[in-house]
Amino acid sequence: MKLHLDPRTKLFLILLCVLSAMFAPNLYFQFALVTLIGLLAAFSGKWQYALRGMIAYALICVFTVWCMGVLTGTWRTMLIAFLGLVHKVYACGMLAGLVISTTKVGEFLSAMAHLHIPKKLTIPIAVMLRYLPTIREDWHYIKDAMRLRDASPTPWGFLKAPAMTINCIYVPLLTAASKTADELSIASVTRGIENPKPRTCLVKIQMRSADFLTMVFFAAFLAAEIVWKAVGI
Amino acid sequence: MQTIQKKGLTVKDLVTIGIFSALFLVFALVGGIFFAPNPVLTFYMPVGSALLCGPVYLLMLAKVQKRWAATILGAIMCIIWFVTGMHWAMALGYLIMGIVADLVAGAGRYRSKKINSLSYILLSLGGTASYLVFFADPDGWAKTMLGNGTEQSYIDTMRNTGTTWILVIMLAGTILAAAVSAFIGCKMMKKQFEKAGITK
Repeated sequence: MKLHLDPRTKLFLILLCVLSAMFAPNLYFQFALVTLIGLLAAFSGKWQYALRGMIAYALICVFTVWCMGVLTGTWRTMLIAFLGLVHKVYACGMLAGLVISTTKVGEFLSAMAHLHIPKKLTIPIAVMLRYLPTIREDWHYIKDAMRLRDASPTPWGFLKAPAMTINCIYVPLLTAASKTADELSIASVTRGIENPKPRTCLVKIQMRSADFLTMVFFAAFLAAEIVWKAVGI
Repeated sequence: MQTIQKKGLTVKDLVTIGIFSALFLVFALVGGIFFAPNPVLTFYMPVGSALLCGPVYLLMLAKVQKRWAATILGAIMCIIWFVTGMHWAMALGYLIMGIVADLVAGAGRYRSKKINSLSYILLSLGGTASYLVFFADPDGWAKTMLGNGTEQSYIDTMRNTGTTWILVIMLAGTILAAAVSAFIGCKMMKKQFEKAGITK
């Protein structure tokens, strides 16, 4: 059985996760947070994602502990500043990736409509999330096309012929983007996106007990962090 | 659809903004990631991001030519950075600079290339916000970084390495990189996109 959460729950989880990452008193809590997200991913049927994310994070943690213990001086400062950033971003990035890969655009839009968020913001976001994988796909085609023309899509190729490389990357990407924008807007107008009536959705958007349970778990984690901090200092 | 010039943003504009935001995000990440893995260069991440996004931003303005386009772009970037857990100041910086960039570009009625370039430079400065917070309050930043109380030597080394000249280089570098990027963007628009009939 797969866990299927409401998009609103997911948004709330992201907020809780950002706060948890911000308040995390030490590395153990950071790791526990990532584990929690990993469990969520596993329950949502993304075993590989969960496993990969947690192993990578464990390695980063080991590296951090090593840095704290062994290194001294400027390198230590620089590395710790950098790793601090990684630790902050990692948990949230992992959750965001999970949310994006498990939410359908239709669900997202109708949950946003429930929350009364203006269409001016939700339509661009929905389009953006849908378009990101397409950019990756386009990029592979562009790389192939560049090889055909002897322009190499690597930093070395850029140094050899900067103007040519810039043109070869930007022009097709931007042209494809504006073509897609035209086509997509026609398609979405045809499917009635301009309809002033409230939006309906085939998938029923509602909060179930699993939603509340997940939220309670994450909220409890955040509360535990805050209590730990208040007691510890 | 183009003959009836509606006043507000049409669905077409919204879709265009969405797609170009995706490109903007990808280019900002690619530019940033080039710097991020190297701890010494982390401070120059806004410079790298600013260097790549110019053409995307300019073409978006040229395609939409209405108020709120840059603001929505800034707001989306703000949400993305916030959701991925970047420092809150970076998210806020993009939101504020998005609005500022929109107002500036609006002064040229979104048509003047020079003013659009200027607005791009302003938007790029949004990325430096988190580092500005770092320089304003290094101790607080260091404290929030690893959560527990930081050691004295750590703060000392940070004061020594994170001196004001890095701040100046970062700001000047971002402005310069954004200007170069906008310049390339303008040339590209003239040479390619206007001929291809992509812009109005």
